[in-house]
Amino acid sequence: MAAADSPSAALRRRDLCSRGIRLAGKMRSDVIDLLDAYVERQGLDASASVAVFEGVPVAAAEHWDEQTGTQRLLENLSAYRAFRSLLAQMLEEQREQLGEADAPLGQALAAVLLQVSAFTYHLEELLQLVSPGPPSEEGPGPPLPSHLSLFERKLRGLGVLRELAQWAVRSARDLRQLNKSSPGSSSAPSPAESP
Amino acid sequence: SPTDSHIQYERVGADVTMKCGSMDWDAAVTWTANGTDIDESHLNGSYLILKNVDLTQSGQYSCYEGSSWHLKYQTYLRVGIPPKEPVLMCRSNNYPKGFYCSWHLPTPTYIPNSFNISVIHGTREMVCEKDAFPRNRCHIRYLQLFSTVKYKVTLTVTNALGKNSTTLTFDEFAIVKPDPPESVVAKPVPSNPRRLEVSWKNPSSWPDPDSFPLKFFLRYRPLILDQWQHVELSDGTSHTITDAYAGKEYIIQVAAKDNDIGTWSDWSVAVHATPWTEEPMYLTTEAQLTETTSASTSSFMPPPTTKICDKGAVVGSGAVAVCWTAGLVLAAYGVLFI
Repeated sequence: MAAADSPSAALRRRDLCSRGIRLAGKMRSDVIDLLDAYVERQGLDASASVAVFEGVPVAAAEHWDEQTGTQRLLENLSAYRAFRSLLAQMLEEQREQLGEADAPLGQALAAVLLQVSAFTYHLEELLQLVSPGPPSEEGPGPPLPSHLSLFERKLRGLGVLRELAQWAVRSARDLRQLNKSSPGSSSAPSPAESP
Repeated sequence: SPTDSHIQYERVGADVTMKCGSMDWDAAVTWTANGTDIDESHLNGSYLILKNVDLTQSGQYSCYEGSSWHLKYQTYLRVGIPPKEPVLMCRSNNYPKGFYCSWHLPTPTYIPNSFNISVIHGTREMVCEKDAFPRNRCHIRYLQLFSTVKYKVTLTVTNALGKNSTTLTFDEFAIVKPDPPESVVAKPVPSNPRRLEVSWKNPSSWPDPDSFPLKFFLRYRPLILDQWQHVELSDGTSHTITDAYAGKEYIIQVAAKDNDIGTWSDWSVAVHATPWTEEPMYLTTEAQLTETTSASTSSFMPPPTTKICDKGAVVGSGAVAVCWTAGLVLAAYGVLFI
């Protein structure tokens, strides 16, 4: 593996960042379409406020501009690994609840799950490049929603998709910051970039 | 004391009764409005009665004791109306630093108003710092980015006759709207009669275009037509128009939007430009006649060979002979096009 600050590594990082930004953009667009379909099929109010469910990664960040490249990647990776599990659960529930009656929704969910999986892999590659070392391990995963009612599961699903849409925007920004920062990825952006 | 400044606010259309301080009802008094005596028909004893007041009746009212002309009471009457629901707008033109909110009243109240704004994000109350200018604006710094929790902004306007309020609820991304692009320049491209080169700059209020890039929308049309052509550009701050009508003056504008979120800016200041056209030729007398005739066909472009008759290039008798020849050719063309 090339050193993190070698020219080839820098090129590879730029390439991975650029592709990641495009992936995130496409993912966001598809998640927004999925959100509309999900709200309609599940009979929910699109403007409803949803409380944060345990295990759903929240995109909101304080002092976002002060994060290092490694911190950004680790947070992104943790989030998308969680989304991967959450979407798989949602897909399973959707199949049990609606079965073949709503194949389009199931297909849309599966397509987004695939993109999330691909993006997760992409982040893992980037992290290896930016901060070489033993691969970071996946956490225990979000808890199974066995205690939730059907309605609560629907709301949870709404929350998952909303946060995923926010994360897709954040990820694109994170990758641009990563592209901008110096080859030494552990250095934080300059104070001039702070709001 | 009677000369203490006292302001009395009353609604338009109200009936107003003013007492002359501590004077009895049956005391002989004289009332003035802005120094002019008020007719006794407006008095009920020593009370001044103003029915169905209107804005023109705002002013200083004074009451004097009958014969001594001691000032017994003075007040400044301000006729106005309670505030209607204010108009509130919030926008982020400097994302991700923060956003601002501005407001105004749809109709004037004619009396002083005070404004109070509250900004709530989830359970957190945020400070909206009032701008020195304009006074009807305040700004908030983002403490969090990428939040799904909505912001709730409530504006309350209060005056002596009542209060009113309005509330806006929005999420972080929805209010992002950059200022228009700046320094839009459009130039003809030499030797290209159908091209215009347009360039612009990111709005200076947008703090970090590298991390939060903008995309642009360019529109252009010849002045003689109403229909715009549109081009969306995902990066870069320049574009070459390649389908301009030759010789026609164009009007061009550009708008900006964050690449991922929010809405388009307003259109930039319009710039005008005309594509490059070949300079008119200075020809011999016969050729000048031809040029006058052929000028009626707007799309006629003189053939390249006439360049040799360019005023600056004609030297010596040989070139003059060539000029004459070209002049004859032009004359032939001119006849054909009549």
